[in-house]
Amino acid sequence: MKILDARILIIDADTGVVEFLKNHLGNHHVIESTGSGIDGIAKGSSSEYDIYFISMSLPDISGRDVLHAIRKVHEEAICIMMSDNPSIDSAVQTTQMGAYNYISKPFDPEKIIPMVHRALERRWYILEARRLREERENNLAELSVDKSRLSTVINSIDDGILVINQNKEIIFYNPRFLQLIDTDRQILIGDSMFRYLPQSLQKQICEILQKAESEGKTGAIKQELVIKPPLELVVMANTAPIFGENGQCLGVVSVLRDITEMKQLEQSKSRFVNMVAHELKAPLAAIHSYLKMILDNALGDDIVTYNTYMKRSLERTEALMELINDLMNIFRMDSKGVKRNLEKVEVADLLENTVDLFKPQMEEREISVNLALKHGLFIKADPEEIRRVFTNLISNAIKYNKYEGNIDISCVEDGRWVKVTVKDTGIGMTADEKDRLFQEFFRAKNKFTRDITGTGLGLAILKKIVDEYAGRITVETEFGKGSTFTVYLPRVMNGE
Amino acid sequence: MSKKILLIDDDTDLINIYKPFLQKHGFEVEAAYNSEEGKKLFKSFKPDVVFVDLVMEHFDSGFVLCHWINQQPERKNAHVVIFTSTGHETGYRFSTQTSEEKTWINADDYLEKPISSNDLLQYVKDKVLKET
Repeated sequence: MKILDARILIIDADTGVVEFLKNHLGNHHVIESTGSGIDGIAKGSSSEYDIYFISMSLPDISGRDVLHAIRKVHEEAICIMMSDNPSIDSAVQTTQMGAYNYISKPFDPEKIIPMVHRALERRWYILEARRLREERENNLAELSVDKSRLSTVINSIDDGILVINQNKEIIFYNPRFLQLIDTDRQILIGDSMFRYLPQSLQKQICEILQKAESEGKTGAIKQELVIKPPLELVVMANTAPIFGENGQCLGVVSVLRDITEMKQLEQSKSRFVNMVAHELKAPLAAIHSYLKMILDNALGDDIVTYNTYMKRSLERTEALMELINDLMNIFRMDSKGVKRNLEKVEVADLLENTVDLFKPQMEEREISVNLALKHGLFIKADPEEIRRVFTNLISNAIKYNKYEGNIDISCVEDGRWVKVTVKDTGIGMTADEKDRLFQEFFRAKNKFTRDITGTGLGLAILKKIVDEYAGRITVETEFGKGSTFTVYLPRVMNGE
Repeated sequence: MSKKILLIDDDTDLINIYKPFLQKHGFEVEAAYNSEEGKKLFKSFKPDVVFVDLVMEHFDSGFVLCHWINQQPERKNAHVVIFTSTGHETGYRFSTQTSEEKTWINADDYLEKPISSNDLLQYVKDKVLKET
């Protein structure tokens, strides 16, 4: 193999050489020439020629300097030195400087031409070697880019990844893995997994390895692992065997996913369902017992008590319906994408309106209500939801009030807020009761509340609504004296 | 003299049903809706049988009340029953035989709600009338 269309640079003041080479090498080579050493260095360094012919005696600088300058830039340049006065010394010297050959003028075509062909062959090998070297380097560069890309991806994944070999040594993990097994320790690659991994995960890995060994191909194991009990950190560990080309098991890969939030949600949902079931069952059981007593004639002709039973059954039925309504409201609030009809709501009007609806109940218990409402305050809200808030507060103020008690309702502006206060002279709450007030199904239990029916969801719903509007609710209370509920809702400012 | 039964339970409906029913069958019955009332009636009414609801103001009100009852001189004449639906709901079963129960709570029996009026009546008859 050799180069068939070489670029050749001749640096010689003697133009006869150019003619000679053109005549003998054939015209498919590009032959350029210059008579100046300086010009030759400039030309010869700026681009790499396949062969340089350099005269030892140039008009400006020595041929050795030209050789030196060109080899400095192009380490592998093939330079053929030409001399009118050849000497062993200068031949040895230039060869040591990296010259490919040293020839004397005038040229003997029989010697020169084969030498040039050999030089071109050599040049071809040099270029080929260079090409291969570059190719290899490019591959390596690509490979390392691939590798770093992959490790960036793996390190950024929100799942923990762990690789174990068949000796149960840790051979890879990502940073997320450490978080998901809740450790601050740095794991040394090659260390035994038994030193670091939670036992439940060790067990899963051992199981997979054993199965892969005894049964050959085996599937993945998926399992929930509680890392921090009870439900502080729970992961779903998905462990699968890694098989080599010959089907032998090389180890396992575990992928850990944080499912804590999901588990907590699941738990609070099932707790809620349990509570709902209990809240539904209790009144139904009572109604059932009452009806059975009446039908069994269990108290003989005690009509008065039977009447109490029927009244109480009716009350509990009503409470059940109320509960189901509240439940539907809670679910409605909890489900995303609730459609709200937002409009500018005049708070004082809505309060007056709501109070009117409760007039009969207030009169029945001879409760008087004092209104101190500032008109002209607006909020942006779904009037039905806000009405539910007010209804709840006022109905509580009546239910938990004493006979002939008072209710003070006020509505004022407070900075960016509309502040609505409902104050009763009722039974109040203990500190413990106050703390649990907004919990679903919490109801204060004492001798005063015994006969008051309620779903235990009213205030939970109220709080959800107020939260939806980025408002807040505060409670002041004194056991036996009464409670004051204050709701702050964001006010629509002038011009909004 | 008729036997005296004290029901301590915060469930109005339950008392509404058991109280007149047991009265109709010849028992003297008083009812308390919380621990405090229960304590007062235990001292003044001097019952032969006491039913104590477990979860009233607090989840362990019944245990605390039983513990208090144990320290009263009237305890020796009373049959004390823990009466609750908690076990039924949580799957937890009580025993009156564990050392803790024996030394601290020392109830004589444990009854799980719900129980029909007739079954309750039968229970009271078995426990009280046959013993005397």
